[in-house]
Amino acid sequence: MAEKKQGRLTKVLDYLKHDDPFSKGVAFCPGCGLELLLRFIPRVLGNDIVITGTPSCSAPVLLGQNNQSWHTLSYFGTLMTGAAANATGLVRYYRKAGIDNTVVCFNGDGTANDIGFGNLSGAAERNEPFIYICYDNEGYMNTGIQKSGTTPFGATTTTTPYGSVHKGKNLRRMNLGLKMAMNKIPYTATATLSDLEDLAKKLLKAKEAKERGFCFLHVFAPCPTGWGADPADTIEICRRAVKTNYFPLWEAENGRIRMTKTVKKPKSVNTYTELMKKFHHMTEADMKVLQDDVEYEYCLLGGLSVLEAECQLPVSVKDQGDAS
Amino acid sequence: MMSEVRFHGRGGQGVVTTSKILANAFARTGQFGASFPMFGFERRGAPVTAFGRFSDRPVREKTQIYNPNILVVLDPSQKDSSTVFAGLLPGGMLLLNDKENSGDIRHDNLRKLAVVNASGIAMEEIGLPIPNTVVVGAFAKMSGLLDINPVVEALADYFSGKKLAANEICAKRGFDEVRIVEL
Amino acid sequence: MNTTTAPSRIKVITGNAAAAIGAKLARPDVVAAYPITPQTEVIEQISTFHASGEMDCELITVEGENSAMNAVMAASLAGGRVFTASSSWGLVFMYDAVLAVAGARAPVVMVNVNRETPGIIAVSSGQQDMISTRDAGWIFLIAEDCQEVLDLVLQAYRLAEDHDIQLPVMVHYDGFFLSYLSEGVDIPEQETVDRFLSVLDDQPRRTALTPGQKLGVGSHGILGGYMELRHKHVTAMERSKDKFEEIDKEFAGIFGRPYGGQLEEYRTDDADIVLVGSGSMCGTIKSVIDDQREKGMRIGLVKIRMYRPFPHQALVAALKGKKGVGVVDRSLAFGFEGGPIYTELKAFETRLDGTQLISFIDGIANTDITKTNVEKMIQMTRDLADGKDVPEVTWVSYPEANTKGEK
Repeated sequence: MAEKKQGRLTKVLDYLKHDDPFSKGVAFCPGCGLELLLRFIPRVLGNDIVITGTPSCSAPVLLGQNNQSWHTLSYFGTLMTGAAANATGLVRYYRKAGIDNTVVCFNGDGTANDIGFGNLSGAAERNEPFIYICYDNEGYMNTGIQKSGTTPFGATTTTTPYGSVHKGKNLRRMNLGLKMAMNKIPYTATATLSDLEDLAKKLLKAKEAKERGFCFLHVFAPCPTGWGADPADTIEICRRAVKTNYFPLWEAENGRIRMTKTVKKPKSVNTYTELMKKFHHMTEADMKVLQDDVEYEYCLLGGLSVLEAECQLPVSVKDQGDAS
Repeated sequence: MMSEVRFHGRGGQGVVTTSKILANAFARTGQFGASFPMFGFERRGAPVTAFGRFSDRPVREKTQIYNPNILVVLDPSQKDSSTVFAGLLPGGMLLLNDKENSGDIRHDNLRKLAVVNASGIAMEEIGLPIPNTVVVGAFAKMSGLLDINPVVEALADYFSGKKLAANEICAKRGFDEVRIVEL
Repeated sequence: MNTTTAPSRIKVITGNAAAAIGAKLARPDVVAAYPITPQTEVIEQISTFHASGEMDCELITVEGENSAMNAVMAASLAGGRVFTASSSWGLVFMYDAVLAVAGARAPVVMVNVNRETPGIIAVSSGQQDMISTRDAGWIFLIAEDCQEVLDLVLQAYRLAEDHDIQLPVMVHYDGFFLSYLSEGVDIPEQETVDRFLSVLDDQPRRTALTPGQKLGVGSHGILGGYMELRHKHVTAMERSKDKFEEIDKEFAGIFGRPYGGQLEEYRTDDADIVLVGSGSMCGTIKSVIDDQREKGMRIGLVKIRMYRPFPHQALVAALKGKKGVGVVDRSLAFGFEGGPIYTELKAFETRLDGTQLISFIDGIANTDITKTNVEKMIQMTRDLADGKDVPEVTWVSYPEANTKGEK
């Protein structure tokens, strides 16, 4: 068993071909999913990426504090409102000037799904050649845990608190990954931190697909601080999110969806929610809503992937041209 | 000497282009022209107004024209409109696109009336009732401010190929066929 | 006289076309385009140039103005020459990025076609959009006619990208009165423009964000060095005044059109009364001044070309000792006794050696600054100079607003 585990670990290590450009002792919370993701990306994609970041939990580290930087990557610190447009400007100039580049537009769910969605949509529509990575911690965490469009049904946040009248978020979450896949961009994928090999493969696939245009990765990255979870449980939370189909793992090339991991016997979503205080107030009826929502989204996903396999797609859909 | 011309018509008749072609024509003679449309929302069929100042000296005014000395009316239905005549200066001229010789048009300040069947000529030459390229030719004749040549040459900035040739004929016919009456 | 003369380089084009051609001649690397009345023709023209290959640039047809400014900001900081255009609502939709561009000292050049705001369906000119953004930290230049639109775009690149300046530049011109005005414009040869801008190639290359270099942009603002940056921004703006004068002279030498730098002074030498204005109204004012001069009135015009940084030194030098000065504002300021530019000039009143100032508000809310209005303004300024009782602020097209001032 230990050897099997060792084998799997080695597989992941094989993907980590580059140095970690981040220093030690960075200002993330203990157990932060974002930190693991952020360190992982340049180790897989290389230290010559240009990474853009916005005010967010990543900012103190990516954008630096005082006169010092926590990393050695080239970066562009900007506002949430225009991140994808900034990345667009970079890649268009680099293309004009013949400068090889991999631009990673790195944003939280608040930027990606809410305030920056317009320009994310625009960049996808124009098929701009860069990789947009959304780390989804289901809320505006840096400002003190407020709800975003991806916050799930029932979750408590400071703007959807538990009170006598209103008890947590009463709206179902938006499915950002699926929305982006519907744009028929060269590559869309979901990934998380319990399946690092899968994440690494998808990063590399995105790097290659970006030659043909816009790529979007939706990465589930728990926030123990904001979710009321034990920092030691971050990876287990990811694992259970996958095992309950709360966060299924799939990819889509030009909008054609394919599951990259099929969970044969999905567990009930209770096994996931029990790890986080933000769900502990939920009644049975509430849990049913959440369970139904999870199943609905999975059904949609599953249906689309099956449909694709059964469809005879015209040849012209297979390849998508460059952004002009 | 500066002429202040107000152009009236309806959306789709090329009122604004009329004023542009003339500014262009004046520039080709070493004179000066400045034209612009009245601001507002434009739709097919809605009244459109444009302004043109044409002079032998640089035109610097950048206001709408309140006291024109020349009126150009591209739509026959506007010949009785008080809006059209508002502010016309004494000794004023009117160029009207109309089938009939509307000799009954009178205004205290109107001294010269020119009528041309621009829509009719346009139908014959370009197959569309867009009167503006006929009107620019008629304008040259009526105002006496331009020969036909610079007007015809200006058209090359707006049309090409067969369309250009057809519109050149429109301008020439406008110049030749406009009927001018001193009042 | 009525027939065709020898062909010249003069083409009859709109102000919008002039802006587009100016941008084309400057050879930008990246252009972001989003339409808004009355600017739309600018980006349509550029799109046509791009589609035909006449413009070899990356054209980004963004989904909103906010993205337009964000895209060109990044491309500029990556080392590119950029261009975009907007107006009123679009300008304020990109306002966060406009501030960020200034803070980052990215040499972005854009045109803003002034449109009356905030009436959503007001379709006329007005400078409220410019006034609303006046201290964003950009250099603001204002054009009087279609020729100047083109010329200012070229001068803007020379100024923005100057290694000693590195500030974004916005060229303003009146919507409707200039954007849609067709008049003769001398279009420079590409070679001449290349030569004019080649001065920049001989300067040190500015820092650019490139992959693989351990460089970043966007972290300023946390404690260390931020105060220094802010002060440097102010001093760079101050330097741009003299730099703009230099560039104007260079431009005149190469293209034959001198404008006067920060200000154009029209018949002010022996004038005892002066109007101060900006934009398209100045053409009308000049015409009225010539008429009045024939009647013996000693009247002149000071036209503000560089509005930010505020050219107070040049204004004081031009207006000092004049008997009466009327400042024409095409916008509003709140809580003061007069329009915005009037109020700004008033801050330097004590340096004017007794020159009296009054404020005229006109050309807002879909009104025209007519020749009659200008004559009225001149008469009131004359009265002011003659010691008569004149209100401090007059809404020229709205008599209901006018009450006797305290003058």
